[in-house]
Amino acid sequence: MWASTRAELTKLVRRPANWLLLAVALALSLTFTYLVPYAGADGPTADRGVASTLPDHLVGNSIGGWPVFAGAIALILGVLATGGEYGWGTWKTVLAQGPSRLSVYTGKLAAIGLAVLVMVVTLFAAGAVTSAAIAAAEGAVMHWPSAGDLAVGVGAGWLIAMMWAMLGVVLAVGLRGVAMPIGLGLVWLMAVQNLLTAVAAPLLDWVAEAQKGLPGPNAGSLVAALGTSPQTPGVAELVGSGQAAAVVGAYLVVFGLLGGLLLRRRDIL
Amino acid sequence: MDTAIEVRDLVIERGKRTVLHGFTCTIPRGSVTGLLGPSGSGKTTLMRAIVGVQIVKSGSITVFGEPAGSAPLRHRMGYLTQAPSVYADLTVRENARYFAALYGLGAAEADQAVADVGLKKAAGQLVGTLSGGQRSRASLACAIVGNPDLVILDEPTVGQDPVLRDELWKRFQEMAANGATLLVSSHVMDEAARCERLLLIREGRLIADDTPAAVRASAGTDDLDEAFLRLIRAQGVAA
Repeated sequence: MWASTRAELTKLVRRPANWLLLAVALALSLTFTYLVPYAGADGPTADRGVASTLPDHLVGNSIGGWPVFAGAIALILGVLATGGEYGWGTWKTVLAQGPSRLSVYTGKLAAIGLAVLVMVVTLFAAGAVTSAAIAAAEGAVMHWPSAGDLAVGVGAGWLIAMMWAMLGVVLAVGLRGVAMPIGLGLVWLMAVQNLLTAVAAPLLDWVAEAQKGLPGPNAGSLVAALGTSPQTPGVAELVGSGQAAAVVGAYLVVFGLLGGLLLRRRDIL
Repeated sequence: MDTAIEVRDLVIERGKRTVLHGFTCTIPRGSVTGLLGPSGSGKTTLMRAIVGVQIVKSGSITVFGEPAGSAPLRHRMGYLTQAPSVYADLTVRENARYFAALYGLGAAEADQAVADVGLKKAAGQLVGTLSGGQRSRASLACAIVGNPDLVILDEPTVGQDPVLRDELWKRFQEMAANGATLLVSSHVMDEAARCERLLLIREGRLIADDTPAAVRASAGTDDLDEAFLRLIRAQGVAA
């Protein structure tokens, strides 16, 4: 499996699209978490102004995007890493020669896991630098989160991002491609989840209850429990942090296993 | 004769069409065997079955004594598909290094495979920007990078210029001399003479399994193209 992981990392590192995804995640995170609130500190959103961008909010600010927009980027990463094999026609050579299907698959998941960790840590690092710069510019005292809080934050961010990446993987394997899995994945993430929360849940009790078992609301609950502002899209504390982490982890495992099962049992085209 | 591949009574259906009808043949170890026949005759299907990615209706295929597609064979096999199967958004070198890494091999082996297929100068070029023939060679480099015991090559010389085709065939013969078994498909008869053994296939049936010299002799002509035509006609008469 190590050879497969090393091989997958070779591809992930050298593929320009993956660096572009990281750059987009970084740009969105810095813009909407720090620059916009800082720029609007004197306007109608003053309550979300400078104070919300200071180092003591680093954990909540760095993971707030994973339930929706950064999650979409993780999903695209998972689809590209897996669905690309169908597009290039490379599964039939990769899986017919060399390691077993499951070995290649687990190597791919391990490489995606590392890539996701790099994304999460990069958002934390960029957030730390930006919040420190804002604090210095405003002459504010810097209160940094403890190492333990940072570790929990990175872990939670990784768990959520990896869950969305796994959804991308299982969609790519199931639909044997790239375009349709990205399309359907984004429709779920950006549209269906919001419609359920904003339209259906206030009208139907059973939808409100069912939300507590869905991946997005649990991801939103987890980051809310760790300090993300509830004004952030997709963030609301519907369930406790323990349940949220367990549900997100369960989806991660189920998506991963389902993708492996499909890849193992189906024909290679 | 030390056998590398043994195919017995192989029947394969694709959709509602029977592609191979009780196909039987053996392929000797350490040789270059040509699989020749017109387009649609079942060459690729037979190769896919030997590699182990094709569902078989009946019959058996063993490779080095193991059932085709079984796990112990995967590290011993290189497969070049008809359409190049490489990553267009990576360079030739990066592609070769990816496949080398799958085998636990390093950059040196990958670079050697790229040089072996005549792509040393294009090693840093994105595969997506290569010509069709170069792309096919990039795919070939990835198929042979693991130094496999069995190499299945589905029309490896399509789109290559005559000089390069000659170099590739010399490389195939070197690999066989070093103990590898190669099964090379083509529908170009002038490549048949370069093989030690020929399997002539038409409409899913084996019509000849012999050396090029014996095929010529049995058809009563020195021209392999003509020999193939005579064998087809003779088969038609017999049927």
